[in-house]
Amino acid sequence: MYQKLSVLIIEDEKSISDFISKTLSSNDYRIVTAANGKDGMALITSSLPDLVLLDLGLPDMDGVEIIKKTRKWSSMPIIVISARTQEKEKVIALDAGADDYITKPFGTNELLARIRTAIRHNNKIVSDGTNSNRPYSAGKLVIDFEKRRVILDGKEIHLTRVEYKIVSLLAKNSGKVMTYDTLIDQVWGPYADDNNRILRVNMANIRRKIEANPGEPEYIFTELGVGYRMLEDEGLAGGY
Amino acid sequence: MEDHINIKKGKSANRPAAPTQEELVRSHKKDTMISLGVFFVVTIASFFFNELASDPMLNIAMLYTLGVFIITRYTSGYIYGLMFAVFSVLSVNFFFTYPYQDFNFSLEGYQVTFLGMFIIGILTSTMSSNMKEQSRKLLEQEKALAEQEKALMEAEKEKMRANLLRAVSHDLRTPLTGIIGNSSTYLEMEHRLSNGEKRALMEYINNDANWLLNMVENLLSVTRIDNDTASVSKSLEPVDEVVAAAVIQFKKRFPEAEVHVTVPESEPDDVMMVMMDAMLIQQVILNILQNAQLHSGSTKPLELTIDEDEDNVMVSIRDYGVGIDGDRINDIFNGAGFKKGESYTDGYKGMGIGLSICKTIIMAHNGQISARNCEEGAEFSFSLPKEIEE
Repeated sequence: MYQKLSVLIIEDEKSISDFISKTLSSNDYRIVTAANGKDGMALITSSLPDLVLLDLGLPDMDGVEIIKKTRKWSSMPIIVISARTQEKEKVIALDAGADDYITKPFGTNELLARIRTAIRHNNKIVSDGTNSNRPYSAGKLVIDFEKRRVILDGKEIHLTRVEYKIVSLLAKNSGKVMTYDTLIDQVWGPYADDNNRILRVNMANIRRKIEANPGEPEYIFTELGVGYRMLEDEGLAGGY
Repeated sequence: MEDHINIKKGKSANRPAAPTQEELVRSHKKDTMISLGVFFVVTIASFFFNELASDPMLNIAMLYTLGVFIITRYTSGYIYGLMFAVFSVLSVNFFFTYPYQDFNFSLEGYQVTFLGMFIIGILTSTMSSNMKEQSRKLLEQEKALAEQEKALMEAEKEKMRANLLRAVSHDLRTPLTGIIGNSSTYLEMEHRLSNGEKRALMEYINNDANWLLNMVENLLSVTRIDNDTASVSKSLEPVDEVVAAAVIQFKKRFPEAEVHVTVPESEPDDVMMVMMDAMLIQQVILNILQNAQLHSGSTKPLELTIDEDEDNVMVSIRDYGVGIDGDRINDIFNGAGFKKGESYTDGYKGMGIGLSICKTIIMAHNGQISARNCEEGAEFSFSLPKEIEE
């Protein structure tokens, strides 16, 4: 039988919770809601949702606590809902293990896209090995992970070793935001300088190589104060 | 202006607190001690010279003159210097001229020496105490000037705050009126409205709400600026990333709008990085873009150009619309987008808050912001100083 995907919404503002519920149920998701952290925690363990939408400003506890507790035993996708000007809060949530965040206020399309991306990535982790080396392709950009080649509009782009490392990391996590710290950790190792300047400089060079106009990027987007997000892999966007 | 004069008066009233009786006595005691000490030392040294040197009188006179200098330098007023001059003349006469251990003013030629010493003593003490007085006055003047400047800045800040508040309350009320009006129309007359009318009401509400959100975000961004020092927490950011982020944000709100971004050609590894609060600069770019979109009255693409010179990075945004009103252009960043009594001709979407917040943000970055009319349309530009990372 066709099983609906379930989403748990942990949000204390009833009007927002209602609006998300309506949007998602009309798009064929099964909805469970919690208005505070305690109920949310209980529902995560009892109803095992396919995805959690988590508001960080809950009345009874810090949303980051929920992420940390859940991550001890589960990799279920968690999307954080947060306000635009609180970029530090977003970084903390992402570093605690949240998969992605969505900025208040958000439109229906954006919300649905984020949910699909997060669920797809989670499926990919579960079925890792079968398609993890499948090339990335979006727009005119193709990245062949096996041959370590980056091809833009049919032409091979020459990246330095570090630049390739960054691009391939972003591409493998396409559609998701990667924080500065995560990228630095994975490219330069855990003992790298805290200063993200070297990452920003490399990123600027990458953009010059793969973006037609660095001021209007098509592939790699900056989430100011948080990190970078690469355009979703079209091969992945095709289906589950 | 009235304000700042008052502030100044209030401050100067409690500035040079008059010394109390006790303090006066203490300072006189100190000065007396100094004078006596110097007199003692000088006299001892003079005895020393008197024994050793072949022509002691010259050295001794110099020593006493030095004494006058020292005392005037380290005591207040010129009374101590004067006293010292008198005593030195007496003591030279008493100790070092014949007859020793006795006063004798009749010695030939010595009257001139005594008189000379006396005059030198008086002159130096009055002169140096005059100089001390003058430098004290200068210092005071400088202090007063600094205070005046501070008061002026304070007044400027106050003015901006007042303007902002005035614009905010106006700008908040108008879209709220729209939202409340349209939604209650819908709720009360739902059955009598056609689908098209319902949709129109919803669109109004949506527009107004977006406008409100934009304003609230602007106001929130100002809270990132430190209230006392008017400074922001800056970090090194690549300029083109911030511009790109702002353009994406802008297109989210105006999907049909077009922006052409021009980034200067540069060497690899030479990345244009500037110390800034990226979220705030993004807000500035976003505000200027939205302003151009809403007020230029043109659908031609906007042009955003990044440029740099030795000390600054410049961002300018050009539109090809109607340009800025001549009598508004000087006041456009002061939150005075509208004048008293003037009604909004272009609806509530005045330029008040957005641009005044731009100015606040750029000032907090020690940058410059300006607006000018071009042959066709207007150009807004701001610059940020290239700073070395702390």
